[in-house]
Amino acid sequence: MKPITELIKKRPIIGWMLFLATIVVVFLLGLLASSIVERRAETLFVYTPKVEHSQFEPRSSVWGENFPREYESWLSTSDTSFTSKYNGSSTIDMLAVDPRLVVLWAGYAFSKDYKQSRGHAYAINDIRKILRTGSPMNGVKSPQPNTCWTCKGPDVPRLMNEMGIANFYKGTWDALGSQVVNPIGCADCHDAKTMDLHISRPALIEAFNRMGKDITKATHQEMRSLVCAQCHVEYYFNKKKIEGVQYLTFPWDKGSSADSIEKYYDEIGFSDWTHGLSKAPMLKAQHPDYEISLTGTHFSRGVSCADCHMPYMSEGGQKFTDHHIQSPLNNIANSCQVCHREETARLVKDVYDRQDKIIENRDKLEEILVHAHVEAKAAWDLGATDEQMTLILTDIRHAQWRWDFSAASHGASFHSPVETGRIIASGIVIGQNARLKLSRLLASLGKTNEIPYPDISTKAKAQTFIGLDMEKLNSDKAEFIKNVIPEWLDEAMKREKGYKTVEL
Amino acid sequence: MKIIRYFIPPDAWKVPVIILLGVFTGLGVFVFDLSKASSYLSDKPETCVNCHIMAPQYATWNHNSHREYATCIDCHVPHNNVANKYYFKAKDGLRHSTMFALRLEPQVIFIKQAGREVVHDNCIRCHQYLLTDEKMKLQSEMFMQIRNGRSCVDCHREVPHSRVRSLSSVPYARVPLPGSPVPKWLNKLMDKPD
Repeated sequence: MKPITELIKKRPIIGWMLFLATIVVVFLLGLLASSIVERRAETLFVYTPKVEHSQFEPRSSVWGENFPREYESWLSTSDTSFTSKYNGSSTIDMLAVDPRLVVLWAGYAFSKDYKQSRGHAYAINDIRKILRTGSPMNGVKSPQPNTCWTCKGPDVPRLMNEMGIANFYKGTWDALGSQVVNPIGCADCHDAKTMDLHISRPALIEAFNRMGKDITKATHQEMRSLVCAQCHVEYYFNKKKIEGVQYLTFPWDKGSSADSIEKYYDEIGFSDWTHGLSKAPMLKAQHPDYEISLTGTHFSRGVSCADCHMPYMSEGGQKFTDHHIQSPLNNIANSCQVCHREETARLVKDVYDRQDKIIENRDKLEEILVHAHVEAKAAWDLGATDEQMTLILTDIRHAQWRWDFSAASHGASFHSPVETGRIIASGIVIGQNARLKLSRLLASLGKTNEIPYPDISTKAKAQTFIGLDMEKLNSDKAEFIKNVIPEWLDEAMKREKGYKTVEL
Repeated sequence: MKIIRYFIPPDAWKVPVIILLGVFTGLGVFVFDLSKASSYLSDKPETCVNCHIMAPQYATWNHNSHREYATCIDCHVPHNNVANKYYFKAKDGLRHSTMFALRLEPQVIFIKQAGREVVHDNCIRCHQYLLTDEKMKLQSEMFMQIRNGRSCVDCHREVPHSRVRSLSSVPYARVPLPGSPVPKWLNKLMDKPD
């Protein structure tokens, strides 16, 4: 064969053909490249918003313009029609259901008023109405700090951004009454630009940092639980971190089990209040839902909170995450039955069976605790000394902590029945130990017959027993709701009119 | 050797030819990088959403019970031998990328016969003990025929993607789509956030 140069020299047409062929190849290759570029660029426009707003836009209705389906399902959190065996989506007066709670919380605001919570939509409404926040008016301040607002809605990250974190926690609850007006919504969990899940509350990030973990490394599946763990966790108000600030802190430094959190509190000498009857330095468990879930079978199989509480739903030809966050018992088909093939009734029975069995022993522990508080009071009345009482009061503290850890966690008996059973069992042992020590002490003080169990058959009787003036509390609250709340709402409305959004 | 010599240009042409070949190779590398070609050697489900039209398939799988146990490759590529696995993967992958680049995808994607068979075999690969129950072998002949003549997904139609599967069926699903092809350092030079 001759070199190509000679071929071209002889027949120039070959040269021209080569030239044209090269043009065609480069042209086609260029087309292919640009097609790939375009198709890749399409992914950047998968989400095309109708309204542009900032990360700190607290009104979910504004975010909802871009995501009508998600927004509409979120609105359903205002539904109160579902009732399960023990809970549901309506208000239940837990003190009336179980008046023992009044005695267990004597001397603490929870003995005034404690209700089963409704959906996220009521977060603001219900914190205003609950007696625990008091009736701040006419110069009287709320007994609670601003920290109590932290989980109530997307106004909180907005305010933290404006005021700084510690400044937000500072002051009493009434100070931000006109500021926090939007209930838990979009901005609490979502990034405004990408709509990815994000953490908006500093306490969780700080807790991760102290444990040496980096929350920014969390996978999407982990985030589907972690956004819930911003609030559905055990926490306390650290008064020692910054002077005059009740700083929201998660007590996970030694681990997140009931035992390790108890140890953490013991070591820092923290107590929420001193019990009204027994004078024990008490701990109040908040709602360690995430901590208890971590020990459950579903969690260890990779199931996130959202998998059951916000399952996929379809509407028309579309599938999306149901933002009606609720008990999966009200939506067995989309939650449980995605994996479990049993009949609905059978699955519900499984849940109720666990709840029945856990509550059986939980009630026993409650009775032990009522006895212990009443007997401790009798011992004080008979002239017991601090020294004689210290160990007994520590036992009462630990036993009630374990009771509360299992009782206050929503769904604990389903999320992790074995761990919850274990916590209650250890509480019963510690509680009985307290009573053994008490009976020895009472005998040495000359009291050998039984201290009678108080008549606390109704909420009213129990509240009278611990000496609460409910009439005054209720009438003050009614006046507060009538006079102060409308002022807060007026102020909020004026402020929100000034918020900027851009229609696109 | 003769053939190679045939392609060697005369000295005077060498520089332009080197440049031209460089252009070709560069363009090739660009296309390789842009299409994330190397990711296709992995078994990660994220690779399948390199094309955003697979987002519904990814999102529905990610909300299904199979999520914890099986990824795309486990069901959609044969696992009887390594050669067959990569042959099928290459064949399907090349068809998909061609359709994608030429914008030939239908609004609702249905699986092809070859793919159906692979999926069926893979159902059995994991769930074989549901089928080889000795008791079942004693059933009537007709029963065996009905069993053998149908594929698993004829009845288990919701597994795992459900029947809602048009390209627009999962708007805003949180799916790990590839980001902008412009690298971070370039954005930084241009002072633009990612």
